[in-house]
Amino acid sequence: MKALTANRLIDGDVVFWKSGQWVEGFGDADLFDDPEAAEAAEGQAKSQPTVVIDPYLIDLIESDGLWAPLSYRERIRALGPTNHPTHGKQAVGGDVVEALLHADGAARSSGRVNLIKRK
Amino acid sequence: MPTLIRRQDDDQFNLGDDPFTAVADDEGLPPGDVIISFTRFQAEGDRLLAEGRAVGVRLEPAEEVEALAYDLPRIAVVALAFPKYRDGRAYTAARLLRQRFSYAGEVRAVGEVLREQAGFMVRCGFDAFAPADGASPADWAHAVHRHRHVYQRAADLRTPAYVEREGG
Amino acid sequence: MYQYDAVDQEFVADRAREFREQVARRLSGELSEDQFKTLRLMNGLYLQLHAYMLRIAIPYGSLNGRQMRRLAHIGRTYDRGYGHFTTRQNLQFHWIKLRDAPDILDQLAEVDMHAIQTSGNCIRNVTSDPYAGATAEELDDPRVWSEAIRQWSSLHPEFSFLPRKFKIAITAAPKDRTAAKVHDIGLMIRRGRDGQLGFEVIVGGGLGRTPYVGPTIAEFLPANRLFSYLEAILRVYNRHGRRDNIYKARIKILVAALGAEEFARQVAEEWAKIGPEGDLPDTELARIRGAFATTVFDALPAHSEVFEAAKAADPALARFARNNLRPHKKPGYTIVEVSLKTIGETPGDATSDQMDVIADLAERYGQDDIRVTHEQNLVLPHVRLDDVPEVFAQLQAAGLASANVNLISDIIACPGLDYCALANARAIPVAQQIAQTFADPDRAEAIGELKIKISGCINACGHHHVGHIGILGVDKKGEEFYQLTLGGSGAEDAAVGKMLGPALPYDKVASAIDTLVEVYLRERHEGERFLDTYRRTGVEPFKEAVYADAH
Repeated sequence: MKALTANRLIDGDVVFWKSGQWVEGFGDADLFDDPEAAEAAEGQAKSQPTVVIDPYLIDLIESDGLWAPLSYRERIRALGPTNHPTHGKQAVGGDVVEALLHADGAARSSGRVNLIKRK
Repeated sequence: MPTLIRRQDDDQFNLGDDPFTAVADDEGLPPGDVIISFTRFQAEGDRLLAEGRAVGVRLEPAEEVEALAYDLPRIAVVALAFPKYRDGRAYTAARLLRQRFSYAGEVRAVGEVLREQAGFMVRCGFDAFAPADGASPADWAHAVHRHRHVYQRAADLRTPAYVEREGG
Repeated sequence: MYQYDAVDQEFVADRAREFREQVARRLSGELSEDQFKTLRLMNGLYLQLHAYMLRIAIPYGSLNGRQMRRLAHIGRTYDRGYGHFTTRQNLQFHWIKLRDAPDILDQLAEVDMHAIQTSGNCIRNVTSDPYAGATAEELDDPRVWSEAIRQWSSLHPEFSFLPRKFKIAITAAPKDRTAAKVHDIGLMIRRGRDGQLGFEVIVGGGLGRTPYVGPTIAEFLPANRLFSYLEAILRVYNRHGRRDNIYKARIKILVAALGAEEFARQVAEEWAKIGPEGDLPDTELARIRGAFATTVFDALPAHSEVFEAAKAADPALARFARNNLRPHKKPGYTIVEVSLKTIGETPGDATSDQMDVIADLAERYGQDDIRVTHEQNLVLPHVRLDDVPEVFAQLQAAGLASANVNLISDIIACPGLDYCALANARAIPVAQQIAQTFADPDRAEAIGELKIKISGCINACGHHHVGHIGILGVDKKGEEFYQLTLGGSGAEDAAVGKMLGPALPYDKVASAIDTLVEVYLRERHEGERFLDTYRRTGVEPFKEAVYADAH
């Protein structure tokens, strides 16, 4: 299972793809079990350079019966910093946030792994 | 005829015709004035100059401007290449051409030349520009004149802050 | 401190205006993200995990109350009410929106501040001794030279597109509080035999993937020849530094490849060609010097009854005095270090309210002078001993009175994976766990000076290589692991730490530090710091204890 994520150009906020729009909560994101649909969405997203920066697909795992990003970095993006539990998206609480907090998958993020390298 | 942005003596910028043809090493030489690589200049420069053509030399960032020193009086244009705009070696080359070798011919910026670099380029002594971003002479002038003050002495004639202050 | 004149003010205002135009061109699609990235980085604006991060320059770590209050205001208005002081004496805001960035730069320009060259492959904000102008140890005021370098390097026409970033540190005291030897250029002010001022010039130090303590390429450069010599170093680097591999592009790689002697020879050759034309006139240096000479001290007795009585009455103040006060060059004054390492908080963070308190204290009791240290603390450099009890009380009320400067809980940590797009692992929570492990202030004082430095990736913003104990976060198949190094130092006895052994998982780090400390307490001789004991015993006893525990 995959989701499509990016940072929004105007404010840098973490956003997720939902039927052609960008939403702020991971819980609202489209989940792709069809790789072709996921790549098609990624292609569409990449054609929006004045809306988002660097859209990419992330892998998901099951957690508490819900889906959560597999990589730790992506869970931090979807939640907020661990040193300030009231900052970022985690502040709203709820089942999806709990599922993300309890997820224990491990993998390197496929996203902006190393901005220096990209120069 | 292709055009170039040129800096005038009064620090204004306009669009001018470019009489030079840039010729790659594997291309045949057209008639008229040409800009060729340093390697080709070493092989064919004497002959081309003897034919009465104006000759320009293109220097890649890794090529040292000192190697040109002896030939500078007969070179009409030194075209300094920016293969990427982040490659800053040509700024040093331009300053040395102007300040160390007192080169009075044209110093042209070619390659990935963007208006954001305009201020730096003019300060280092470039006076002709082939922008890769479609910038107009007005864009160029705007970028160059954006800063009312400079802190350093460089190859242009701008008064550095420490001199400006003595006057004030 | 240095006062901007009209030239300086118009310069930062022009720069802010330029950035506003660039942002508009990016939003309209005229600039691609790739083109814009370089431009925003040259104004300190990064894209991190959750938002943009804006790194604001605090040149040589020096600011006044009005400026600090403006930073507090920006934190409140555009961020979440706090900011993060960095290991290069700057301030970062972590929740910035691109659309607000031009307004923020305007607000900074109004108080003579900017974000110029806090990122990008250019000459970065210069760092210096946070005790400058206050310590009796210094041979000259390094801020004079720092400010001159700030101006000289600002939008330098030739050196704004270097192979890689370029960091300069200056110190004038034998005790190095700037990590000068691990900078691209470290300048140490020296006095020649004839009394003349000069610089020892160290080039090619650095941290990151390939840490080096930099070699000295000039033992004594006459002070008035500094700028032509800097130009020569930068020119050799700009021409010959590697541009084919980002990990080999820093000047340290060029210096190491050529050898210090050959590099010095090339610089000397270029320097001879530049000549004194490349130097800053003495009149300008005198003007800048004059701008720093405005601090007026009263003639006070060296002993303060008020202070001594308060100390005797309040053990907390006595502890604060032992750990956070430093001798001042003038009798009756002291240097006050304000720790941003309250146990359990994020190292280097200050809330907007705390920034306001510091601004008030500086204005009322501290000659309107505030410094940032590279160890992520703040300094009130000129406080009367008589005023210390009052300052301490107000710091206490603001949660800023931790008496742990230079102690084990005074930990440097980069933002790490909680914020940074480059990080492999978190640094802040590791620092918090260690600080909590050593929360007992008596134990912390008994352990004495011990510098722990944590980086969340090999880029080493947390200076782990030069920690007495260094901690490097690594990514092992997507999990956070931490590699420990011992024996580093960023001070005058600079050294790169040696790896202790295999990396440890996240939840084993704090207990491993506890074990290291126990070994030190067992092995130490009278008067030895952790670093001294390690240097005497070597790594073995430490290694044995940590990995015996791990099994």
